[in-house]
Amino acid sequence: MRVVIAEDDALLREGLALLLRSEGFDVIAAVDNGDDFLALLDDADAAVLDVRMPPTFTNEGLKAAEVARQRRPGFPILVLSAYVEDRYAGQLLAEGVGGLGYLLKERVGKVAEFTDALRRVAAGGTVMDPEVISQLLSRRRADDPIQSLTPREREVLGLMAEGMDNMLIAGKLFVTETAVSKHIGNIFAKLGLSTSDSGHRRVLAVLAYLRT
Amino acid sequence: MRYVAIELVASFGSLMLIFVGVVVLPLLVLTGGWLFVPLVVRPLRWWANKAREREAARSGRLVDSAYSEIPEHLSLEQSMRITFSRTTGRDLLWLLGHGLLVSLVSGLALALPLSAVNSLLVPAYWYLAPANDPVTSPFPVTSWALAAWMPLVAVGYALVSWWIIPSVAFMLRAAQMKLLAHGPKAKLVERVTALTASRAAALDAHGAELRRIERDLHDGAQNRLVSVVMMLGIAERSLETNPSEALPHLRRAQAAATDALSGLRTMVHDIYPPILDELGLEGALSALAGRSAVPCLLSAEALRRVPTAVESATYFVVAEALTNVNKYSAASQVTVSVEYDKSSPVERLMVSVEDDGRGGATERAGGGIAGIRRRVEAFEGKLLLTSPVGGPTTLRVELPCGW
Repeated sequence: MRVVIAEDDALLREGLALLLRSEGFDVIAAVDNGDDFLALLDDADAAVLDVRMPPTFTNEGLKAAEVARQRRPGFPILVLSAYVEDRYAGQLLAEGVGGLGYLLKERVGKVAEFTDALRRVAAGGTVMDPEVISQLLSRRRADDPIQSLTPREREVLGLMAEGMDNMLIAGKLFVTETAVSKHIGNIFAKLGLSTSDSGHRRVLAVLAYLRT
Repeated sequence: MRYVAIELVASFGSLMLIFVGVVVLPLLVLTGGWLFVPLVVRPLRWWANKAREREAARSGRLVDSAYSEIPEHLSLEQSMRITFSRTTGRDLLWLLGHGLLVSLVSGLALALPLSAVNSLLVPAYWYLAPANDPVTSPFPVTSWALAAWMPLVAVGYALVSWWIIPSVAFMLRAAQMKLLAHGPKAKLVERVTALTASRAAALDAHGAELRRIERDLHDGAQNRLVSVVMMLGIAERSLETNPSEALPHLRRAQAAATDALSGLRTMVHDIYPPILDELGLEGALSALAGRSAVPCLLSAEALRRVPTAVESATYFVVAEALTNVNKYSAASQVTVSVEYDKSSPVERLMVSVEDDGRGGATERAGGGIAGIRRRVEAFEGKLLLTSPVGGPTTLRVELPCGW
């Protein structure tokens, strides 16, 4: 898989390239800004982008991601950020097409999980950082239907929002897949959502609901 | 005498300003004058401030001015407020008095010693004057006998001027100080305006500082720590597959962690020098004095606890000033004094840094002095820099600390 890295911190950029290469990815370029990444768009299968890059160090990565996905709808992009901002997640997911990931930078330390996330994104899945999910879940609203979920259902919703399928969730919680399906059915019922099989569409539904 | 002479010269400047004003003002008013308010008020303030500086240099005391800032882009309302403010009114009054009265009074006063000199010379030239228009000083000199009286007249003039010039100077100075130093009411009004502005500026400065710190943390320490975690992750993978390759990754992780630490250390120091916490203001200042390459005499005793922000600012002011002294002044001695002044209603910390170097220090945008001024003005403080070419250089700062 041909990957482009855009990260302005030199040490991190080299580290990321080293890490991905040693895990069998074909890193075709590691650049330090959004424009250079966009120039390489057609040669790559996926990209890893830092959110804050020159010139303004605010959200260049997100802007580049937006442009990239306008030019190549569905182009897989994994965005790395120094901190969690659920607004960014919302911005990324606004188009509602899969192949997107949003992770805290420090997740690169768990190499296996990080490369797994990148592969899932490249395969068209959606990966959300657990921090984003918990931030969304902890947000309080007066008429918050999340409050009506049982702790177990909230747990399942969280894992689901991270992009896990029923089998993974069942494994994580040491319950049967049937039990997970039942929880999910309850969650959707309580939140007024219709069920869907596809992993990332479930995430989108959950996030879309939580954002409103 | 010197005072009277200087004020005489300066008063001609005022006179000219009055003329220019009288000619130009109607034109300005007719052509939408409010746009030109800064154009008129700025020179007025500048000229009045020059006079304040002269007074301050002579008396060693700062002459308070209570101006509010003139914003870059004026609305009609703002320019009206500035035009009809008490400070502008007083400045105009001073300008008229200075231009019309001071020139007259000081001119007359200075004529006296000149008359004395003239009287001494009359015996030498009275006979050159035509008989129908004799030299009159103060009586018509028409004979040698009358000319012989002249030295006595000269002594009379000298005595009168000896007696009158100091009192004229005294009166002029008192009158000028009265008009130049803005009264309590004007000061209060302007202070509220200035306070609002300086509060906004302080909040801005605070916000800018927070943004700088946030960015430094993200792009510095946080990125380094991510590198550490990442290198450790790579090393972990290597240990599973190819243990001999793990060591370089561990070393890189260690280097990144060391980097993160030193970055954090610099940052923390910039926010609030830990030495202040440890040694208090006096101790921190004496540490600064001890580090100065130019021998530094410090007098800072029995300082009361002042607000942390003021301590931090004082430390910053002295550190910057000493850096300047060491870099540019070529001085052989520098004296730093910090004392607590509670004589005025607002208790203040008076800081002065004085060196015997070559002088000529100026305030440049983005320079050390400008940095000090910014920090001082955030506290509504004052800064006075006197640095004639050839030295000595004195930097005086007042920091109010009794909010």
